Amino acid sequence: MVANNRTTLDDCRTAVRPEPIRVSSPWAARALTFLMVFGPGLIVMEADNDAGAVSTYVQAGAQYGTHLLWLLLLLLPITYFVQEMVVRLGIATGQGHAAMIYRRFGKWWGRFSLADLLLVNFLTLVTEFAAIALALAKLGVDPRLGVPVSAIGLTALVLTGSYRRWERIVVFLCLLDLAWFAIAFRVHPAMGDVARHTLLPSLPIGGLNASWLFLVIAIVGTTIAPWQLFFQQSCVADKRLRFSDLTSARLDTLIGAVFTILVAGCMMLAGNAAFERHWNFADPALMAVQLGAVFGPILKNGLLLLMINAAVLGTTTISLASAWAYGEVRGWPHSLQKPVREAPGFYAVYAACVITAAGLVLIPGAPLQLIILSVQVLAGLMLPSAIIFLQLLLNDKEVLGERFANRRWNNLVNWSIVILLFVLSLLLAAQVALPKLFPNS
Amino acid sequence: MTATTEYDRKFYIVVHPLDDEPEAKVETENLGPMRITTTVRVSLYALRAYLLLMSGMLGYRVLQLAGIIRG
Repeated sequence: MVANNRTTLDDCRTAVRPEPIRVSSPWAARALTFLMVFGPGLIVMEADNDAGAVSTYVQAGAQYGTHLLWLLLLLLPITYFVQEMVVRLGIATGQGHAAMIYRRFGKWWGRFSLADLLLVNFLTLVTEFAAIALALAKLGVDPRLGVPVSAIGLTALVLTGSYRRWERIVVFLCLLDLAWFAIAFRVHPAMGDVARHTLLPSLPIGGLNASWLFLVIAIVGTTIAPWQLFFQQSCVADKRLRFSDLTSARLDTLIGAVFTILVAGCMMLAGNAAFERHWNFADPALMAVQLGAVFGPILKNGLLLLMINAAVLGTTTISLASAWAYGEVRGWPHSLQKPVREAPGFYAVYAACVITAAGLVLIPGAPLQLIILSVQVLAGLMLPSAIIFLQLLLNDKEVLGERFANRRWNNLVNWSIVILLFVLSLLLAAQVALPKLFPNS
Repeated sequence: MTATTEYDRKFYIVVHPLDDEPEAKVETENLGPMRITTTVRVSLYALRAYLLLMSGMLGYRVLQLAGIIRG
């Protein structure tokens, strides 16, 4: 059962609409249009720098210094090309990704994709709240108080019945990540090394080893996550982007990709400060405390607050990806533009995801390590299937026609990305499921 | 963005997507399942093989952790 979430003409006639804006210059008109379209691309990319990503990038910096910066540069076009396909599909159909898989591949694949998405998203949410609890504890706030307050705040964020209000707040949270640049500057990295290791790929000192390889795979898995495909397509549909908005939406996605990769690089540079001092740490919160002893309490508190911000961004977007997908498939109204009384199921799924994940973190002795491993394995299952469906849908000329379907060069690039992600996901999941297959990992 | 002329002056009208008239999107309601071309068939077989392999690996690991298989 898949429902159409499009606004009807009657909805528009009854709604009070603001006066259109008149400008005299075509440049001003283009700039204003871009600013109105801007949002989903930045949000989906920056929210991908969530708590798990902070942990992975900081760990990469702490273990290998600046030696893995080149990988981020390589991932920039890959992440853009994948999300650009989602933008085209969302604008052309006005439908979410889950709804399209149901319609075109049938119930079995639809249910498989939805169940996998909901499960991996929920487990990821648990890790987001675990990071919030960890950072709050280091800031001297009792997680038993801080985690429920965060969950209530995150639920209240979507209950206003206004997509625009939610988007403005979340874009503001994304821009708070500019503080990572200040942190990277404060820890004084050697700029020559940064430039060299960004532009020239290098192997670790002592040659290739399994732990380096799996860190590389973990970075790829962190940068391109399955929920992003579902989130951006539903977000584009909820914002009702028009055919004419395609160029602006592409630019939004490109800006988001560049910003996210730069922020990820700053996270690696923060980890590099620990690498230069030969520190070992179990989590980024502990690293923040160690760096605080050298660079002062502002840096420590800034890092911990940025960890919380990353988890908050991850939580609202991942929960929305689940709520939109479930609403699409069940045929429920599913829009941030609708008040709670008009879309109770959609908001209930969002609230249930947030509150249950927060509650699980507060249970003493909850198996968090098992949850983190499960996220990696399930993401390994999820990403290749989600991306295969995306690639096939983008070649579905019956739906998209010549205008929105992939061109030959799109297919060449995107099938290469699909094959690469298949192999890397398989290797990562195999390493987690069968660790003895890979010695020294 | 729409261009319009008023009193010999040209204006450009900009409307937020949420305030605009809804446009007719590509029709997907009554299309039914995707046509199975060679690419679609090969892709779905590859996906099934991948999922079976992953499930086999996970099953093996679970049996190993349960002590049924020694490894």
